[in-house]
Amino acid sequence: MNSIVLIFGVFLGGAILTYLAHKLSNILSSAFFVLTIFTATVLFYLKVETGDVFSFSLNGLHLEWGITSFSWIFSLIVLGLGTMAAVYSISFMKGKERLGYYYFNFILGIFSMMGILLSRDLVSFFIFWEIMTWSSYMIVVYEGRSVQKIGIKYILFSAMGAYAMLMAIVIIYSQMQSVMIEDLIYSFSSFSISYQIWLPILLLTGFGVKAAMMPLHVWAPGAYSHAPMAYTSVFSGALSKMGVYGMVLVFSTLISQLPEHTIIREVVAWLGGITAVMGTLWAITQDDAKKLLAYSSVAQLGYIITGVAIGTELAMLSAIFLSVLHALFKGTLFMVVGAIEKQTGTTNLTEVTGLIRKMPWTFIAALMSIIALAGIPPLGGFVGKWMLYESLIGSDHYILVILIFFASTAGFLYCYKFLFGFFLGQEEKEWDHVKEAPASMVVPMLILSFFSFLLGTFPGLILKPIDQGMQSLGYVPTEGHFWGMSVLFNEWGNAVVLQPILYAIMAVFLFFLVFLTLKGLKGTRYVTTKDISSSGEVPGEFENLSYKQNFFQPFLRAVEPVMKRQIDKYYTGIGNGIEAFFNYVRRVYSGNGQTYAIYVIIFLVILLLFKNNLFG
Amino acid sequence: MVGSPILFVAVPLLAAFLIPLFGFIWKELVRIVPGIVLLYLLILSVSLYIQVLQDGTIVEQIGGWAPPWGINLVFSPFTGLLTTLMLFLAFIIWLYSYRFKNVDFEPSKKYFILLLMLVTGSIGIVLTGDIFNQFVFIEIMSISGYALTAFYTGRDSAEASFKYLIMGSLSSMFLLLAIILIYSQLGTLNMADIASKAHLMKPEFRVLALVFFIVGMGIEAEIFPLNGWAPDAYSQAPGPIGAAFSGIVVKAGIYSIIRVTFTLFDVEGTMQFLVLMGMITLVVAEMAAIKQDKIKRMLAYSSIGQMGLVLVAFGIGTEEGVFAALFLMVNHALVKPLLFLSASYLVFNSTEKSIRELNGLGKYLPLTSFLFALGAIAIVGMPPLSGFWAKWSMLTAAANSNMILIIGLVLLVSVVEIVYYFRVVNRIYFFKKEEDVEPKKPTINAMVSMIVLGILIVTIGFYPDLITSYLHEASESLLDKGKYIQDVLSAGQSIIQ
Repeated sequence: MNSIVLIFGVFLGGAILTYLAHKLSNILSSAFFVLTIFTATVLFYLKVETGDVFSFSLNGLHLEWGITSFSWIFSLIVLGLGTMAAVYSISFMKGKERLGYYYFNFILGIFSMMGILLSRDLVSFFIFWEIMTWSSYMIVVYEGRSVQKIGIKYILFSAMGAYAMLMAIVIIYSQMQSVMIEDLIYSFSSFSISYQIWLPILLLTGFGVKAAMMPLHVWAPGAYSHAPMAYTSVFSGALSKMGVYGMVLVFSTLISQLPEHTIIREVVAWLGGITAVMGTLWAITQDDAKKLLAYSSVAQLGYIITGVAIGTELAMLSAIFLSVLHALFKGTLFMVVGAIEKQTGTTNLTEVTGLIRKMPWTFIAALMSIIALAGIPPLGGFVGKWMLYESLIGSDHYILVILIFFASTAGFLYCYKFLFGFFLGQEEKEWDHVKEAPASMVVPMLILSFFSFLLGTFPGLILKPIDQGMQSLGYVPTEGHFWGMSVLFNEWGNAVVLQPILYAIMAVFLFFLVFLTLKGLKGTRYVTTKDISSSGEVPGEFENLSYKQNFFQPFLRAVEPVMKRQIDKYYTGIGNGIEAFFNYVRRVYSGNGQTYAIYVIIFLVILLLFKNNLFG
Repeated sequence: MVGSPILFVAVPLLAAFLIPLFGFIWKELVRIVPGIVLLYLLILSVSLYIQVLQDGTIVEQIGGWAPPWGINLVFSPFTGLLTTLMLFLAFIIWLYSYRFKNVDFEPSKKYFILLLMLVTGSIGIVLTGDIFNQFVFIEIMSISGYALTAFYTGRDSAEASFKYLIMGSLSSMFLLLAIILIYSQLGTLNMADIASKAHLMKPEFRVLALVFFIVGMGIEAEIFPLNGWAPDAYSQAPGPIGAAFSGIVVKAGIYSIIRVTFTLFDVEGTMQFLVLMGMITLVVAEMAAIKQDKIKRMLAYSSIGQMGLVLVAFGIGTEEGVFAALFLMVNHALVKPLLFLSASYLVFNSTEKSIRELNGLGKYLPLTSFLFALGAIAIVGMPPLSGFWAKWSMLTAAANSNMILIIGLVLLVSVVEIVYYFRVVNRIYFFKKEEDVEPKKPTINAMVSMIVLGILIVTIGFYPDLITSYLHEASESLLDKGKYIQDVLSAGQSIIQ
């Protein structure tokens, strides 16, 4: 049996088995769940090689599954994050209802994402895309809160995106009587010019919805924050990357063939930039960690979209690199929020404080990811963002680089808010009972943050596969490697050794810190966080000195005019208007028999009057 | 020869009249006999269909009178497919309504008699090759339809039935007018004969006859301004009858309008007209559906919308278009009954049948709710269920004929469809149950019938090639007008010689 089919079989069979096992016992179901995802992962990396192809024909269409070195990179995101989130899920979901339902849709989600990556034709791509949509929808509404609003908004936007895509696929099929992606790339230049412009736009709309690009992003904050956190880490980390995956394909294979492709590129790049700025600003205003991270995801995807749209070698490299890193650190951060939610019962940043001593491991994971997210050296985010800035400046997008730079800097504010809100600040009695999350939740977080550390230190580990992947997309490396174009790496030759030097400096610094601490150990007095005095006054236990309410108020007041116009409100207005109009149309069916009879007569009269126009 | 097409009309009609007599022997026979009859006919239909695919169309002459003088029944790959589909659904509906609501002997006797008549009428419409005979079958179907709509003798059902009756009589009036026009011009009532002689008609009479046909049959096929009766009838009739309306009766209506436009008259502009009317029907119906608060009304509007889509697909006019239309019909004939059947158990004990009462039933009726959700996902055309392939073939057919605007509109309307179906599914699974609602567990036979439909939907979704070859045969058979005429008329010649 072909190994790709085998993997799909494992996923599907595992999903059904997991669901059925849930009727017997929760433990069995959880075991099946993790086993399915691990088996499929192991099988995938052992058995499937680039070039393996499984083709078959269905409903008169030639369909093909196989992996390219480009989709292989994204499979790292999906399966890497997927396995970690699966392990994390077990403890996180303990004691919740309808576990079978959750596991089933989780597996289907991973399955469909792998399906998207393995599809070499547009029809299987679309089928897997839709399976991904409804399986993720099922999990968004899993907790049953505001399903009619958040859930419907998600499915509505996804459906519009998917149908834009379907329309493009159908037109492509009618143009070349084949749905293979290869054929499309090959014969795209022979399409009429209007199709050459509209098809990429339709496809980009479809992918833009999943990648939460302005102005199609409005579903994202709600959906991200309403799904269980164990899934949201996959949702934001991997599922949204499917949109990026599609965008990369469209930009590098289709739009690059257009003679006047710069306009589309500029528009999308600007949309990405605006997404980044607005997402960041909105993230800063949030008091709920889930919402904060959700908006932050929107913002981060904005950077990635900008990079993809600019589409020079370096920009593409940085976008793909950032995709991988975003999966790592945002996946971890959502898990951190999940762990805090599990242990404290709330995710409100203004309520929970001082968890650093109670959940030290979670803190370490959060700290590493925040550093990576903010793009501070030495972690991976820095490398990615640096390359992005460089590519933007290199391609003369000076205003855009200011925009991105502003978003990135403003991003520090919410990073700080997140870290300070949960872990630092004064310890309150209310949270004295909080303990560290169970090991099966902490370990995945640590593993993921270790990887974002590793990739920051040795970016070459992932840059090499990305290099190969981009070559399979048709990019030609000018200096042997794409990263050779970046100053960051050039300074040190092709070997990527900037980070270890930084670490060496830090190690020396740390060594002296430890040395000094140990030396002065005798004189050390341990204090609690309340053991302070301000202006000679010693505050009591009950007094709250934390300044978390109305964080960053001056800043927010400054940017208020920008944030007043919420696109979400316009959408709601349009939606309500349309429904009211539909309600008005509905009255055509008056429920009165006489009216209906009159309709028949009117219809007949119209037909008779216009019979010469209608029938030749 | 396993049997002859005449049995499809004769046996159920006979059985319908004999049912009261069976009732004297043993009361349970009233329920059992229709099932046996339908099962027998289904097997017969399948075996005949296989035979037809190999040997070509069977033309049955009633009473030995050769066409164009006598009445004939035509069992071609196209009509055979529809007959088989209808009989399959009729059997499913019988299985489901066996002991639906535990009604007494007297009502159930009426119910099954009328159901058999309804099926007879619908199959007759599809099989007959004579235009007046078709009119008679339309009458049989409609009259049993009126009676079944008013089956729950209440004020609302009576009103719905009355509306249906008004519209139905308008329909038969226009049909008669059209038939008279044709007969006065050509002196024949045989469809094949009319088709071969249609060019002899004066153009203005031809168009006039076509217009009358469209209005008359449009009422049965639920084209937009003519379909006022449908939502009321669907929602007031018993649940399984709603399924029969959407799965069997409408299909017969669509068939008759297609036969007239494709075979009888070759008038320029009919295809564009079908696309236009189908599109209007689709858009208005889906707009009306989104704000409904009664579940069955919502399903009825959705059903009308789907029929609009089928007409659009037929109107594309190419082989692909017809294929897509047939695929949509098969999909709709499997999915919409499933929705009706599962929904009527979800609102079993309620008098209002409002969507609100479905809240939270997912916990109490897990399997029924699941099947409803499955149907909802299939009807909006989400992969990997059958609806996707139907929609895919429709869209590709439109794209190959360069109807880009149609594709856009159909997809936009599908978004509306997704919204209202998902709203209902959300209510079933994620809302709190209303306190006054008492869920009723489906009987085993009802469960089986729904599961069979569900399995079919999933199977076709994963493996559409299961049915596509039959659909291709059927669409070729519909489009090959010359062969139809030749088949029917040569059958007459061979007897004369």
